[in-house]
Amino acid sequence: MAVQPILIYPNPILKMQAWTVEHFDDELRQLIEDLVDTMRAGPGSVGVAAPQIGVSSRVCVIDVSNNRHGKDNNHGLLLMVNPEIVARSGAAVMREGCMSVPDYTGDVERATEVTVRFTEPDGNVREFTATGFEAVAIQHEMDHLDGFLFLDRITSLKTGLFRRKSYK
Amino acid sequence: MTPKCRSGNLAHFAVTIIGKDRPGIVADTAEVLFTLGCNVEDSSCTMLGGEFAMILIVSHTKPFAKKQLEAEFAAKVQERGLSTFVRSLKDDEVCYQKPAGELCLISVYGSDQPGIVYRVTRELADRGVNINDLNTKLVGTPTEPVYVMMIEAVLPEEMSVDEASLLLEKLKKELSVEISVRLITPVSF
Repeated sequence: MAVQPILIYPNPILKMQAWTVEHFDDELRQLIEDLVDTMRAGPGSVGVAAPQIGVSSRVCVIDVSNNRHGKDNNHGLLLMVNPEIVARSGAAVMREGCMSVPDYTGDVERATEVTVRFTEPDGNVREFTATGFEAVAIQHEMDHLDGFLFLDRITSLKTGLFRRKSYK
Repeated sequence: MTPKCRSGNLAHFAVTIIGKDRPGIVADTAEVLFTLGCNVEDSSCTMLGGEFAMILIVSHTKPFAKKQLEAEFAAKVQERGLSTFVRSLKDDEVCYQKPAGELCLISVYGSDQPGIVYRVTRELADRGVNINDLNTKLVGTPTEPVYVMMIEAVLPEEMSVDEASLLLEKLKKELSVEISVRLITPVSF
């Protein structure tokens, strides 16, 4: 067990583009173990990206199977090294929060379906299409690898919907 | 849940500013606050009708009296056509208690008629549903005005979204309005 502290914004690592993983070695396996332990330790956490524990590498772990939004539609525990989204479609808004940005939540629009390709720690390349909540989790965690926080994705103020142009 | 407090050595005030909309209301207000050394900790500002309304929680290192703040606003803001109000906050009013229950968006809309806000919010209040955010708009056409109300509310811990929905079912028929309740409890990644 090696639960790592979660970095909180404005830690600069959270805004950096993470490095591509080149060596599938013990160091990587240790990083993944730490990420999984940290995810399991977070209250209701469904994913952690390496930059959140201070490692600027393109690695994230996701597991939505214990979450009410994801329990019926998921691919179990995902250990993603150098993940890429190769296709995306659809759009839905969900209110997101993030362990690295405490006490703030906002509505974020994400694709409802993403096809993701990544390497597993043993070097095996995997590709599948995730939908619904798992797709949202993948996009949120992968954003961390490019230095994006959900704050960069909030699309609209909720009061904007019914504003009228003129008043009589 | 532990209440979150950031009071420390700070005096807190609730400040409201309302005036006929024009560019610069926020800048004028923020300038007064900045000059006084106040921090805007929380704020919500929006257009209501042709008015621009600001609600702020501001803090200042103690000692700092409410009358200093009021005097500055009276002098600098009111002369620009803005109405203001200042209230001192006690330490326990500054603490933010994280809600325990589900967060819901309740949308209510239908032909305009008196009592929509009252009836819906009374029903919610009587069941211990706590409103976080509420806004209403009169839309539609002059001959067929439509009233829209959006409520973000925290349900009591034991209440589910379906129960909240059921609770409003009776009003839906009585007022002939559409009411829907959906879960928007944030997901933390």
